[in-house]
Amino acid sequence: MDTRTIDNKLPVIELEGEVDVYTAPQLKQQMINLLESGAKQMIIDLSKVEYLDSTALGVLIGGLKRMRETDGNMVLVCPSARIRRVFEITGLDKIFDIYNTADEAQEAVGKETG
Amino acid sequence: MTNADSPARVELVIPCKPEFVGVARLAILGVASRMRFSYDEVEDIRLAVGEACTTAVEWAERNGRTDSTITLRSEIANDKLTVDIYDQAGAREDNTKAEDEQETENIGALLITLLVDEIKIEPQAEGTHVRMVKYAGQR
Repeated sequence: MDTRTIDNKLPVIELEGEVDVYTAPQLKQQMINLLESGAKQMIIDLSKVEYLDSTALGVLIGGLKRMRETDGNMVLVCPSARIRRVFEITGLDKIFDIYNTADEAQEAVGKETG
Repeated sequence: MTNADSPARVELVIPCKPEFVGVARLAILGVASRMRFSYDEVEDIRLAVGEACTTAVEWAERNGRTDSTITLRSEIANDKLTVDIYDQAGAREDNTKAEDEQETENIGALLITLLVDEIKIEPQAEGTHVRMVKYAGQR
């Protein structure tokens, strides 16, 4: 799991491999760290994720709720049809803003921040 | 290949811990890949089995039973795959779950229901038995 920051306002968490009951706690910790450091916007990049389960979805929902409570937002980058399908069958594609590329996500978040 | 008279069985026992759920997923991926399932259906089975094991692992953590095991028994009969998942994670009775834990478990249960054709969950003396059935060529 790797976190890179584009600029101070827009952290991007890039995930890789399997995000499941074993690895999702790391994601949760990363998100908590960013929230505590005052991040208002966040991009979670799932481009390199090959498996994602309910534990990961739970962590993402928790993060999204906390971000929106503070008028912030969290968006996802998910070009993979297989991973996107997990969001679609659970109906969570209607809750998350999901983009195909990191550029699209950055542009969308950039517009929100003005 | 298998026929209806002699279903092939594959059995796996894993520790009831988060780091071994991936092993169960990998095993069931191998089993399902031997059948006439589409790519998406194999993914469905992998996810459903992963969710069932994850639920067991989470209950084991809550009930202090992380030293227990999960037993997976797969039965391949023609176009029907049956997976039995037995855990000894204790009773699934706890009202003290955090909201996000409950949410995760609800999503997991929803996924299993949507991904397989039949699902049966029954409490046992030491834990829970989950049976899921998926038929190949249903779509």
